Amino acid sequence: MKNLRKTFKNDSWVMPYLRKYKGLLLLVLFLGFMTFFSAGALMFNSGYLISEAARMPSSIIYIYIPVVLARAFGIARPVFRYAERLTSHNWVLRIVSDFRKKLYQTVERKAVAIQRSHQTGDILSILADDIEHIENLYLRTVFPMVIGWLLYIFVIVGVGYFNLVTAAIMAILPGVIVILLPLVSVLTNGAREFQQHQIQHQFYTNLTDEVIGLSDWLISGRYTDFLKLQDDPIDKIAALRRKDHFYQWWRGLFVQFIILLAVLVLLIWTGIQFTDTKWHADWVAAFALALFPAVDPFLSISQAASEWPIYRRSIERVNQLDQDTERKLPAQSDLAGKFENLTIENLNFSYDDGGKNIINNLSLTVKRGEKVALLGPSGTGKSTLLKLIIGDELPTDGSVTINGMSVAKLQAERSRIFGVLDQNPYLFNTTVMNNVRLGNPNASDDRVKEAVAAVGLQDLIESLPDKYNTEVQEAGQRFSGGERQRLSLARLLLQDAPIIILDEPTVSLDPITERKLLDQVFDLLADKTIIWVTHHLAGVAHVDQVRFLNHGEFTMAGKPGDLYQSNDHFKQLYDLDRGK
Amino acid sequence: MIDKRLFDLPGMRQKVVTLAGLVLIQAIMIILQARYLAVAIVNLWELKPLGTIILPSCIFAIAFMMRHVITVVENRTFFPFVEETSGKMRKDLMKKIFKLGPSEIEKRGTGNMVTMALEGIDQVQTYLMLVMIKVLDMSITPWLILVYIGVLQLKQAAFLLIIYPVIILFMIILGLAAQSKADSQYEGYQRLSNHFVDTLRGLSTLKQLGLSKQYADNVYSVSESYRKQTMATLTIAMTSTFALDFFTTLSIAVVAVFLGFDLMDGKVLLLPALTILTLAPEYFLPIRNFANDYHATLNGKNAMTAVLSVLNEPEIKDNEVLKPITWDLNSQVAFNDINVTYSNAERQALKDVSFTARGYSKIGIIGKSGSGKSTLINTISGFLTPDNENGGQITVNGQRVPHLNQKNWQNQFLYIPQNPYIFHLTLAENIAFYTPTATPAQINQACEKAGLSDWINTLPDGMDTLIGEGGRSVSGGQAQRIALARAFLDDSRRILLFDEPTAHLDIETEINLKRDILPVLNDHLVFFATHRLHWINEMDYVLVMDHGKIVEQGTPDQLASQNGMYVELRKEMEENQL
Repeated sequence: MKNLRKTFKNDSWVMPYLRKYKGLLLLVLFLGFMTFFSAGALMFNSGYLISEAARMPSSIIYIYIPVVLARAFGIARPVFRYAERLTSHNWVLRIVSDFRKKLYQTVERKAVAIQRSHQTGDILSILADDIEHIENLYLRTVFPMVIGWLLYIFVIVGVGYFNLVTAAIMAILPGVIVILLPLVSVLTNGAREFQQHQIQHQFYTNLTDEVIGLSDWLISGRYTDFLKLQDDPIDKIAALRRKDHFYQWWRGLFVQFIILLAVLVLLIWTGIQFTDTKWHADWVAAFALALFPAVDPFLSISQAASEWPIYRRSIERVNQLDQDTERKLPAQSDLAGKFENLTIENLNFSYDDGGKNIINNLSLTVKRGEKVALLGPSGTGKSTLLKLIIGDELPTDGSVTINGMSVAKLQAERSRIFGVLDQNPYLFNTTVMNNVRLGNPNASDDRVKEAVAAVGLQDLIESLPDKYNTEVQEAGQRFSGGERQRLSLARLLLQDAPIIILDEPTVSLDPITERKLLDQVFDLLADKTIIWVTHHLAGVAHVDQVRFLNHGEFTMAGKPGDLYQSNDHFKQLYDLDRGK
Repeated sequence: MIDKRLFDLPGMRQKVVTLAGLVLIQAIMIILQARYLAVAIVNLWELKPLGTIILPSCIFAIAFMMRHVITVVENRTFFPFVEETSGKMRKDLMKKIFKLGPSEIEKRGTGNMVTMALEGIDQVQTYLMLVMIKVLDMSITPWLILVYIGVLQLKQAAFLLIIYPVIILFMIILGLAAQSKADSQYEGYQRLSNHFVDTLRGLSTLKQLGLSKQYADNVYSVSESYRKQTMATLTIAMTSTFALDFFTTLSIAVVAVFLGFDLMDGKVLLLPALTILTLAPEYFLPIRNFANDYHATLNGKNAMTAVLSVLNEPEIKDNEVLKPITWDLNSQVAFNDINVTYSNAERQALKDVSFTARGYSKIGIIGKSGSGKSTLINTISGFLTPDNENGGQITVNGQRVPHLNQKNWQNQFLYIPQNPYIFHLTLAENIAFYTPTATPAQINQACEKAGLSDWINTLPDGMDTLIGEGGRSVSGGQAQRIALARAFLDDSRRILLFDEPTAHLDIETEINLKRDILPVLNDHLVFFATHRLHWINEMDYVLVMDHGKIVEQGTPDQLASQNGMYVELRKEMEENQL
């Protein structure tokens, strides 16, 4: 209970939507209840019908109503069920649309424009899965449980109308099924679920080690070690599954036992209550048969409840997201006039957790049209510097200004100032045309085609059967790495921002493709200001100044031509890069 | 309806006989249960004293409990078999992964393999558990009940018998209609459902383009059209369940009404009528259960097909042809007209490749992307098998072998790829991966040579720091050094295969790493695939590849004097001199 309250304490994902779509929710529950009500009523009515008929009444009038009702209930049950399933799916999908928008907005708030790790993608898939879990929470847990409870209350009230003592017994017996057992299931399963999660994680880690590290296993010849690594988790998983199954089977048997008791109680009660006259005795069969069809929802309640721990983790995770607040920016303003210069002054930066300075008292001025290359080993703050330049992060000390105005104030029109081409520019799973047009949603088809032609992809695209309407497929798989970069470059041309950030755009390309792409980039963007992070010196002749960043400081800086003449270290690096 | 492969599973037939016996007893219990409940009710209906229902109620209660106990017994009997079969399948799959090797596994997608071993086998287990019992239930219980109803009243039995195929027919017709509708929508459907993850993954690109805020509405509207499409499909897809539901429930109502009329006419007594009414839902129960679990069975069936297709994949044979060798100065490996074709490709990835490598020579492999450098390295390592139609030959020390996936070859070399895999182990265990018996002192020495010591000194737990997935992160340069330390540690392996070890590193890291790699190249046969041409200066022989062929080979000086591909590549690199 305490856990439950904790889970929902700051909830903005489950309860608000229950309220928002109240009407439909009630409809779902009503239809669900009516499904089982009709099923029970069919047997109830049929039991009465044949008991009455067996009295051989003189006229068909006596059984006319039950005959009509039998057909009505016979049709009502499947119809209600069909309607219930459609309505509940519709209801859940409506919520999913809301969820997706909400999740997107939450994630968008924290998203940054400069990022390299792919892991973020995995975290996002986990969140997408969480939403699916919450979907299932409704379909598989909430709806069946509430419908089960409604049915339970109906049975008690129905019997209570005739006899309070029997009603009390009926409250206790099925009560065990709909209240006690689900609680017990949540408790036992909660612990098991946790354990299962741990073992699966171990299995998963070992498995990744085995599958991705397979060539090392193979060459090392450690066949027995390879097999032994998984034996333990495989056996543990099996043992856990076994326990879980056994638990479910015995629980199912117990539920049936309770139902048997309930049927016997009803039988004895009707035997006492309705055997005063022949006409009353027709109800005996009705009551005795009505309970069986109602067993279904009762059977699934405990299982539904035991899935709760999975859902709880998901609910907590998405609710956690809301705790991250949007960063505070100063009042936004427009950039007056053309871009003239970008100035970094005495810049210092460290992450909030009090770690060491990642950027150390750095200064740099880039004038309009100037081109700067940034080099340095991984982890020396290149990405952080880029983040500070475009305003994804704000300086701990010092400033980044454009035309003398802090970038923090220019975040609202950032995309009109900065264009970014990174290692893995993302192509969305839609057509070439749509992907390129993202650079400027107002661009005409002709301008998009011009941009594609400018990056030299016209022939390729027009040779494809669907031309510009060719689907790029998931993450742009349809095209090679170099082609993807060029499509993104076309996008950048449409965006037409004065400052271009190149974040190692060629790292995964071979040297010849790399050289061609760089020539093209610097040719097409000749009038732009470019800040280019690169991992080696290929194409460095294109820039006006090159800077080496190490531990947050510039260790070497100058015109590439001058450095080559005057700096041995630079010369050595440059020659190495050219194969000498 | 039933998967024939199931009967091929060892031990299945015997289990099926036992299960069939249990299902039969269970069916008898169902009949007894219905019969004696009816007796009790009729006694009350006839206004007999309450005492007269004690005996029938007890029989009803016992039959009822027996029926459900048998369900547990069935599960308990069958489960050990299922558990053993799926457990064995999982272990077989692991063995198979090892046997198939990395290039075969990569072809199927590493993610796919992980999912298959983890969730796929779980689905198979559920499938095995469900399908046999349900099918047996469906093929025994209804018919026994029907025979009993026939004994009581032939007319009702005939009605129930006739309605059964009608139900199945309708289910099939509607099911097929739904299927074709779903199929025709599948593609658009799939795209819509992936759209959300697609958008999330591309979020930083959207942010770069300044479109991220307004995209929220797009997310919502796409999700709404997904909902509408899904509902349109579901409306049809659910009709098949609806048909089943409709016919079975209505049949019960019809039975009740017919019985009512017959009772009025005195053609039947209450007891048999009531028994038939109670049995009617039981008659339909097995098929309803089967339909309810249809989707779980379908997933399991597909998962099993996938697992079996991996398990039946042919393994590379003859991997103990090569007699034990110890690579030394006089050893020699020769490729003669070797072709390699990937199993799903039409064109050969390697064509007529011939070269000879002797002793401790250092062989560079260069060429453009896609020219076959990695394919050649993978053939040398034995991860790929050459075609055997054209009479190409591989010989090691004069001994002919069909391929290099040889136990006694693979224990002679180390392989250092672009991204060496870092295991979820401690740093020391990672370095000693090839030599688990190495002492800490030896490991330390290897680390020293590989230039890892400075980094290790900054780690809180030193050599015992946990690295790899979920552990401390390791940069590209450090990963290369770990692989290098493995090479320093293992003296017995005298062949080194490099595949683009420094392509993705920054230039300063590369120059430092090169300094540490150079010493290890001595006293080793080295194959070094790269497009970083400065490495070629350290090689004494070069293979130049283009479109799967070796277009030039010779010492760097020889190649520099010819006006071929090598010179052209060099020239490309040297353009735009400062």
